[in-house]
Amino acid sequence: MATIEVKNLSKVYGSGETKVTALDSVNLIIEQGQFVAVMGPSGCGKSTLLHLIGGLDRPTGGSVFIEGSDISKMSDNTLTELRRRKMGFVFQFFNLIPVLDAIENTALPLILDGIKPDIARTKASEWLSRNKLDGRGNHRPDELSGGQQQRVAISRAMVSDPVIILADEPTGNLDSRSSDEIAVALRKIVTDWKRTVLMVTHDPRIAAYADRIIFLKDGKVVDDTLLNGSNGENAKRLKEKVESL
Amino acid sequence: MRIQFLLAWRYLWGRKQRMVLTTLAVVFGVTLLFGLNSMIPGMMESFRHSMVTTSGKVDISISSDSNNPFEQSVLSDLSEIDGISQYTGILTKNVVLPESLGGSINKLTGASSVTVTGVDFATAQNVRNYSLRDGRFLEAGDTYVTVIPQLLADKMELKTGDTFTIPSSEGVADLKVVGVLSLSASAGLDEIFVPLATAQSILNLPEKINTIDALIKSGSDRDEVVASILAKLGPNFKSGAIQTGDELASALMMGESMMWLFGIMALAMAGFIIFNTFRTVVAERRRDLGMLRAIGASKQTIMGLIMVESLIQGIIGTALGLLCGYLFSLALLAGVGSIFASMLRVTIGAPVITTANLIGSIILGVGFTVGSGYFPARSAMKVTPLEAMRPTLGTMEYRQNNKRAIWGLVLLALALFGLLFGEIKIAGLSGVVFLVGIILIAPVMVKPVADIFGKLISSIYPREGKLAQGNLTRQPSRAAITASSMMIGLAICIALMAMITSIEHGFVRYLDKSLGTDYLLMPPSLVLGGGNLGANQGLIEKIKATDGIEEATSLRLASSQIDGTALQLIGLDPLVYPKIAGLEFSEGISEKAFEAMTMGPAIIVNGVFAITSNVKTGDVLTLQSPQGEQEYTVVGIAFDYLNAKIATGYISQTNLANDFNSESDVLLLVNRTPDATAEEVTPALQAVIKEFPTFSLIDSSEFKTEQMGMFKMAMSVFYIMVVMLAVPGLIAMANTMSINVIERTREIGMLRAVGATQTQVKRMVFAESVLLSALGTTMGIMVGLFLSYLLVKAISVIGFSTEFYFPTMGIIASMVVGLVFGIIAAMVPARQAANTVIVEALQYE
Repeated sequence: MATIEVKNLSKVYGSGETKVTALDSVNLIIEQGQFVAVMGPSGCGKSTLLHLIGGLDRPTGGSVFIEGSDISKMSDNTLTELRRRKMGFVFQFFNLIPVLDAIENTALPLILDGIKPDIARTKASEWLSRNKLDGRGNHRPDELSGGQQQRVAISRAMVSDPVIILADEPTGNLDSRSSDEIAVALRKIVTDWKRTVLMVTHDPRIAAYADRIIFLKDGKVVDDTLLNGSNGENAKRLKEKVESL
Repeated sequence: MRIQFLLAWRYLWGRKQRMVLTTLAVVFGVTLLFGLNSMIPGMMESFRHSMVTTSGKVDISISSDSNNPFEQSVLSDLSEIDGISQYTGILTKNVVLPESLGGSINKLTGASSVTVTGVDFATAQNVRNYSLRDGRFLEAGDTYVTVIPQLLADKMELKTGDTFTIPSSEGVADLKVVGVLSLSASAGLDEIFVPLATAQSILNLPEKINTIDALIKSGSDRDEVVASILAKLGPNFKSGAIQTGDELASALMMGESMMWLFGIMALAMAGFIIFNTFRTVVAERRRDLGMLRAIGASKQTIMGLIMVESLIQGIIGTALGLLCGYLFSLALLAGVGSIFASMLRVTIGAPVITTANLIGSIILGVGFTVGSGYFPARSAMKVTPLEAMRPTLGTMEYRQNNKRAIWGLVLLALALFGLLFGEIKIAGLSGVVFLVGIILIAPVMVKPVADIFGKLISSIYPREGKLAQGNLTRQPSRAAITASSMMIGLAICIALMAMITSIEHGFVRYLDKSLGTDYLLMPPSLVLGGGNLGANQGLIEKIKATDGIEEATSLRLASSQIDGTALQLIGLDPLVYPKIAGLEFSEGISEKAFEAMTMGPAIIVNGVFAITSNVKTGDVLTLQSPQGEQEYTVVGIAFDYLNAKIATGYISQTNLANDFNSESDVLLLVNRTPDATAEEVTPALQAVIKEFPTFSLIDSSEFKTEQMGMFKMAMSVFYIMVVMLAVPGLIAMANTMSINVIERTREIGMLRAVGATQTQVKRMVFAESVLLSALGTTMGIMVGLFLSYLLVKAISVIGFSTEFYFPTMGIIASMVVGLVFGIIAAMVPARQAANTVIVEALQYE
């Protein structure tokens, strides 16, 4: 059973003359432990695909299966619970709660799930430590750099032991050094923890850390490539591909 | 739930200024609600202490249904009742001690009044325990002797063998102190005991008593014994101690409902402020809320977060409000205490916290806050996880408010139409409808008001004025809600000022009419029923016999009940009274009404009673009297100056004597002959009243001046409340202005980056605030005018006919207050905006 299965997925915004097809009958299968990057020009439907797979939005047509369950038919409460337990999110703008410190931000999904606060804090500290944020647990977001904030966000995404990590332009707001750190952290999630990562990015250099690249154009999958070279070779290949598409 | 509390608390703590401002609004509302209502019971309790006679430790206390004295002979009926072991008849009445007889308004160091209790020495000690510390109790053959409590002896520096002089219907009574009680049976009351016959003579109530105290046999059922006593005595008796001051208590109860109204209005304004704040909070945190939804927070969790935040503010605000309210009532009581002490000779005690007030204030304080957070919380619940992904932009309201405005216009039209009926209840409803109508059209008023006043500001500050105008109109709903809370305060301010002006004009007229004689012989307390001791016929006869006196007439007093409602009865001479004084009639004709009173049992009632008991001319009222039920025909609705606020009926003195056993004069109105001068007459009258020290001789013009002074002093307390009601409007403005500045941090940074100076930024914020207050003031004046017309009409309906005076002063005051509030509200936010660090502001999320 695939971790993610997308069947004839469509999303249409508006109607009549203002109708915009963001996704047009997309079919995909993503197995467990795969690091998948979604690339394509602006407005091609990358973020829409991620939102629909993450259950953040409802499709106009088709279905999304997470570990065999069709999430497009789930109630809001069931979907919320699924997001809490099986998915982790990493956003472009970090989206940390400004009034909570790093440990509290990381522990949020566990606390929302009713886990005892001391257990949640311990787990949060462990994940912060894995993401090289020892000693930063009591700092609030405004006391951390952009890269550190994003590593807190990755820790938060992993703390509830999810099956899938969804990352929407996770390096879009970072410098190249911090971007590399984030890409390495996501890579480790796949390599060390055997989780599935689905990442939307514009940057071929970051996408090169993935195992597989899906190219979207005008809401359709136009290319699906497996990467097996070194990072440098992959990035070069991807750059050429982006240009050719 | 823990996460909601954690987040709510952290968010509140993260925006301290905003938290303080919104919480302050709740504090204010609860302060008014709790403080004003703690004051009323404090006043009532003081009155009770001063006036109400308690029955001590007896099993049963019987008095007449109308609280009037009754024949002593009824005692004999009790001997036949099973279950009674002992009984005794008592005549008791509170008597005010004038200063000339050692009376003092300070209850700790002196006595303002004493309760004269006439007891039958033979039976009294069987029923109550009189524990003597010194001397002896009353015995056979005693006449003008008394037994006094230790506390009074200490205060008045009296001991056994001394003479204690008290006012009497014959002038004064010199009582020899024969005993001092170690503890008064009625603690807290200065009760002196005299032989029953002596009391009857002092109080001019021969052969009368007003209470029967009884003990029941052991094993008897109290209720059964009471039932058989009442069955034996007839329908005009009741079980329980007599209660003087009932009328005043009902006037105070009316005051209490006014205080609730004030408090609730203040809380409603707090509600507006909280609603506005949370609406902004939700808009500001859309991305946080979206992220929480994305990582698995349910809709209920999100809603709970906002609700918990409002709950925390409600709890903190209410707790502080209770504390401030108590201090507020302490301060207010200290303020009104001096007025009461000089006018009514009553010492006002400490605030009293009743369970109902405490629980009511808590429920309303927390309830309004949580209620105001509810709708913003619901909209927070609708934030989708996708909000987390979107970049934040400066908010701009595009929603069409036209539909609401049309509804608003319809309501305004309905409200004006409602006035045409001339019905007080419909008019009251019209007031509410008008208010809602204005609130609904407020958002569409923002632009025109901003345009008009914006031009004015732009003429002074052309660049900043234009920006301020644009800023105000971009969030019309927020501006409208802020202006609404200011509107309520200002509208009440205008309406009350209009009412005060109208009442003042009315008062002068009534004062002239009902107390317009040359002289007044006044009792110590202006509330006629408040423990004043009347004079017998001797006084008025002596006055009439004085040279230079053309005419004199008196007012007498009794109390009655109609279907359980207390009614104060004033006895007047229908032939003389209308000649030298008069009542202000709102229904019926003066001449005919007084003529009817000479012919039979006719009554004129005042507006307060007519309204509360739904009485009109021609109705027949059944009055409870010591002689049984008496039927009186209503011949008019009218009132005099002193009794305008207390349910009162006016009957002839002949009827008052026959049916209510009252023949003492409590107030005298005296006119000189046209050729007599004050220099000749005044000393002669002063010589007469020397024998009656409870009365003071007052020149009417002096009295009028004094009364107007009192009126203005009492109104000043009112003005304090009006100002306090305006303050939440200021808090709302300051709150909105600081929200606006925080929300536009990035924009302000951009303005500074492209060359705006600190002064320009400051001016922009000030201009916006003044425009906002202009909107609130405009709305406040509209509603204020409507409400003031309603209030004056409402007073007229309850029989207090006054003309409507256009509240010019109120409007001018509101405009000044509006402008000042606009400037004060912007002070802190303007400084914050001007001090914005450009780089930080540009990065502000």
